[in-house]
Amino acid sequence: MKDVGAPALIGLRELTRKKRSRSQSQLFGPPLECTNRLKEIMTRHYYLARFATGAKPVAWVTSGAPVELLRSFGFYTIYPENHGALVGAKKQGAAMCSIAESAGYSPDLCSYARIDLAHTLSGKTPTGRLPKPDLLFASNNICQTITYWFKAISYHYNIPLILFDTPYNYTELAQTDINYMVEQLQQMIPILEQASERKFNNSKFAEIVGRARETSLTWGAILATMRNSPAPMTIFETFFHLAPIVSLRGLPVAHDYYQILLTELEERVRDGIGATSREVKRLMWDNIAIWYKVRDHSIQFAEQGMNFVTATYTNAWAETTQHLDINNPFESMAKTYSLVILNNNLDYRLKLMQRLIQEYQVDGLVIHSARSCKPYSVGQYDIKRKLYQELKIPAVIIDGDITDERAYSDEQTKTRLDAFFEILGN
Amino acid sequence: MADQNFKSEPNRIQYLNEQKAQGRYLLGVFPALYPREILWALNILPVEIWDPPGTAVLANKHLQPYICPIVRNGLELILRGETDIVDGFLFPHTCDSLQNLASIVNDHLELNKPVFSFYHPKMPYTAATQKFYRAQLEILINQLTSIFSPIDTDRLTECLRLSHEIGRQLNKIFKLQRTNQLSFSNSEYYPILRQGEFLWPEDYLKLLNEITAGETIPSKPDTAIVLSGILPNPVEILSLLDKLNVKVAADDLLNNQRRFYLPQSKFSNPLDALTEAYLKRPPCSTIGTPISERLNHLIKLAIGSKAKGVVFLIPKFCEPELFDLPQLKQGLQKAGISSLVIETELNCGLTGQLTTRLEAFIEMLGN
Ligand code: SF4
Ligand code: SF4
Repeated sequence: MKDVGAPALIGLRELTRKKRSRSQSQLFGPPLECTNRLKEIMTRHYYLARFATGAKPVAWVTSGAPVELLRSFGFYTIYPENHGALVGAKKQGAAMCSIAESAGYSPDLCSYARIDLAHTLSGKTPTGRLPKPDLLFASNNICQTITYWFKAISYHYNIPLILFDTPYNYTELAQTDINYMVEQLQQMIPILEQASERKFNNSKFAEIVGRARETSLTWGAILATMRNSPAPMTIFETFFHLAPIVSLRGLPVAHDYYQILLTELEERVRDGIGATSREVKRLMWDNIAIWYKVRDHSIQFAEQGMNFVTATYTNAWAETTQHLDINNPFESMAKTYSLVILNNNLDYRLKLMQRLIQEYQVDGLVIHSARSCKPYSVGQYDIKRKLYQELKIPAVIIDGDITDERAYSDEQTKTRLDAFFEILGN
Repeated sequence: MADQNFKSEPNRIQYLNEQKAQGRYLLGVFPALYPREILWALNILPVEIWDPPGTAVLANKHLQPYICPIVRNGLELILRGETDIVDGFLFPHTCDSLQNLASIVNDHLELNKPVFSFYHPKMPYTAATQKFYRAQLEILINQLTSIFSPIDTDRLTECLRLSHEIGRQLNKIFKLQRTNQLSFSNSEYYPILRQGEFLWPEDYLKLLNEITAGETIPSKPDTAIVLSGILPNPVEILSLLDKLNVKVAADDLLNNQRRFYLPQSKFSNPLDALTEAYLKRPPCSTIGTPISERLNHLIKLAIGSKAKGVVFLIPKFCEPELFDLPQLKQGLQKAGISSLVIETELNCGLTGQLTTRLEAFIEMLGN
């Protein structure tokens, strides 16, 4: 899920390459200077990936997996969800998905998975080349789908799959769950030692956990700048700037980048510079981005004087990291990773959204019902109803998909958005 | 041996009312893996909700169109008030859609009934799995006993014995079937087997015993297949197989043989025995069994039952199953075993196209 980042990277490049018309550029504030640095970082990450094979052990990792542990063994990490988003942002999602479909994978499966399976089967990727994995590292804290998907990759390459099994919080996180997760993490150490041919180094691990914590806290501070009005950034930009926290978390480069971004945003807040020229209404986005429509949506909403100031999706990387504790790394990782939004019940999600609505002074909600993502989407109808009942927050549901353009209808979306704009406008 | 009495299912509502009158609690249980022996020992009758008839209308207010029919129809049943008879619900952690359905029912429906959940660990297992699963059993017992009856350990031990016996009899029925000693057709014996989804264990075992204890009647040596997937639905498939002289000689369905496996245990403690049984259960997509294990299992089933092919019956949008299929199909093909995937809504009958595909597949197996 929280994939944006790198993927978005390429999408971002596309976005900036396509010149906005004069009237369109008047809709937005000056572009963030940091964006160029972000591009450099992510391009370098994907560039180096080409040479990782043989030089470093390579792991393919899911977006919600406790990567800090892998980092301490020096793995080069690739995030197939990121790669999926990148393909989606380049509008190559449907074409890639159909490669997997012709190999027998159902068009009803998560499109990130179909894209990754297509890449695995055909080698196709807009990044040039992705290194083959030596190991797969997954956590089902975002979905069960990821385990079915990674299982297929594991069988294809005949490589081990390590699963961090995070019991779903139907109510609250229980101590038995924490113990189970801690034991799993500890039992991964000898497996990772063998796979990486390196000994576990506790102080290095603690350093990485500490850095990941700092990075995530900074990410939280970055998002918090959007509580200001006008918000210095749109959620469409955060979709892209999320890249390092997802795929480079625990590394100095991500930590340093967010310091710079935070400083720039704080300056914009101080100078009253908004991401959009007119911020009449403030919105929240629910679910993963519709990667092939990010540009269109950013223009469409800006034209209405509406800016997205928060999203359940981008918030996921700021939400639980305060639990990370270098003095108690395993237990704190168990909490951090199992308390993420998608591993929690709908009541938790509702309360989280209510809190965000209040903190970010949200006037309306756009819900992306993503065909790919059942754990994010099932329950959205009820949440929409409850939010209206309790907070009188109007919401619109956009049916679509994260990367598969075939599941999206411009016409249907336009009709729904027009009605939404009308309600919000009154 | 084919006593006509087996073929008429007891009236379900009447049966459930009788059970209640005897002082039993009823729990509506969603698919698929849960320790039913614990429920029995607590005087709770699990009533499994798999494929209620009817078309979903009310559920569409809560669920997007891309959700599987098991989740949709189960919710519809609740919303229509047809589960009013049960004293609560139990949701095992089967897949993303059921996970969220549990939360919709618990957090949003205001049913005034307790909603229990049961998280079972996923594969690949680690050394931590065993302890965790056992702890989950204890948590479930505590939650249930706080609302229903206290647990009787002797009765739990007896329930394990019953469960083991049920599994043994089911295996025997499949063996009789594949050795042509059972004169039930597919469309006759699956509904009988499925009575285990709501009968009290002693009643169910009695039914199975009567089937297996009867005189064997040689049947025609039909073409044998393995049935895999979630449910033997739509039921018309079974009649079509009968018409084509095809018998299901081995079963890998989630509602049947993937679940009913309780080996004789080396453990005297029933919770240890249940834990062992969970860890050793047959391969299943919903627990994340590696493809190679599922494939070997299917090949073994096919060879052991002299089946000529495997038919996968998959409810639309069922991710756990759909992800495994391409590699399973390919692996079966390499092993010289043909397979056919049928993706369906559960209760919508057979389309002409599906009928043709199944007929063509069976014809191909015969050649
Ligand atoms: S199902 Fe959802 S959370 Fe899981 S990989 Fe797909 S998009 Fe991400
Ligand atoms: S049919 Fe598949 S998707 Fe539906 S509830 Fe069962 S396992 Fe889940």
